[in-house]
Amino acid sequence: MNEVIKHSIRFVLLVILQSLILNQLEIGWGIQLMVYPLLIILLPFELGTIYLLAIAFVMGMAIDSISNTYGLHASSLLLVAYLRPQIFKMFAPRDGYDNLKEGNIYEMGTRWFIYVFGTLLFIHHFWFFVLEMFRLNDILLILQKTFVSLPLSFLICLLLQALLVSKPQER
Amino acid sequence: MRNLIAFFRRFRVFLVFVVLQIFALSTYFSFLQFPRAQYLTTASSINGSILEMRNDVTKHFNLSKNNDALQRENILLRGRLPQSFHRLQYGLVKIDDTLYRQQYEYIPATVINSTVTKRNNYFTLNIGSKQGIKRNMGVFSEKGIVGIIHNTSENYSVVKSVLTEDINLDVMIEPIGMVGLLKWDGRDPRIGSITGISNDLKIKLWSKVVTRGGSGYFPRGLTVGYVRKLNPVEGKPLWDVAIRYSEDFRTIQRVYVIKNLMQEEQHALEALIPADKEDE
Repeated sequence: MNEVIKHSIRFVLLVILQSLILNQLEIGWGIQLMVYPLLIILLPFELGTIYLLAIAFVMGMAIDSISNTYGLHASSLLLVAYLRPQIFKMFAPRDGYDNLKEGNIYEMGTRWFIYVFGTLLFIHHFWFFVLEMFRLNDILLILQKTFVSLPLSFLICLLLQALLVSKPQER
Repeated sequence: MRNLIAFFRRFRVFLVFVVLQIFALSTYFSFLQFPRAQYLTTASSINGSILEMRNDVTKHFNLSKNNDALQRENILLRGRLPQSFHRLQYGLVKIDDTLYRQQYEYIPATVINSTVTKRNNYFTLNIGSKQGIKRNMGVFSEKGIVGIIHNTSENYSVVKSVLTEDINLDVMIEPIGMVGLLKWDGRDPRIGSITGISNDLKIKLWSKVVTRGGSGYFPRGLTVGYVRKLNPVEGKPLWDVAIRYSEDFRTIQRVYVIKNLMQEEQHALEALIPADKEDE
């Protein structure tokens, strides 16, 4: 399948899932599920950071405009896109990244995915809740929201990959 | 000049990041105060139609509950009709009197998008300026108040709900009539708080909180909620009154928008009050 079409379909599906379903759920204990950073990590390894930033901005604004948050999702996703090259470099495999592969759990391994995606998702959630509350008094609430939302978002991202990513064929 | 170009080339990733980040953050912080453009909100026609499609599916989930609520309201209103009263005197002629004049009109609407988990929650309604909706009109439901209109487009409008940080509606606690400002601390969508209540007042738990009708957005006496707890404020002789909203915003569907026919008169009169001098 053509790469551009594949990523466009993922873009649309994730925006719809996030803005029309997950943003409407009220689970309690401050849990808020956010899965759209998955798109940024699944983009090809050789893509330049400027393209990453542009895609992140458009996606964030699309989600913002549907859920009335006016730039909150865009700002958090921009941070994820900006930090992606550094985090990737930090956890790079011994012989570098293979451009034919994709940053999903099947091709890069569970360990790599937990480290890289966990870090990026933590940065995203923390930044999101800090901006949303924007008050030092509420730091405990921010941390609570971050640490209860993070594992659940991560779990849903793992499940989503079974739908969005085609598994490599057994050779 | 060459150094400048080299500088831009070297830091272009960071510069693009900063520019986009500044744009996102400035829209975020300015939209909280002043609505400017509609194309970035759910009031825009594309987003509005997406949400309307979604609502066509989800509205059926609460259908029986909504029918019950509407039926209850119908019973209440039907009880006030002339047919349901036994006439005690005959021979009197009814005259259109001049004692009463209509002040408030109500426009029915459906909530097609709502959130309750964010710090500032906005609801989207399926009616807009074509139906006569303007900024700062009050919105309430059958159970209690919901918010005020924040932004409108031709066919949709966005409500700033009472689940926002600076909603600041003036409400009063019955029966003592103490007036305070309504706020929300962002934790529980069922609980709001009222500030500015002096702590020498005795307030009974579960006493009713109603709108005061001061700013002209709401008529006097619409239910807001019930007093649930009194928390002392440190260092000030004030109560922080926690109230339970009478409306459950998690299942909100049908609302009414209030049109105050005498609002301009009230605002024109209040504009004559001289402003406080800063140096006093």
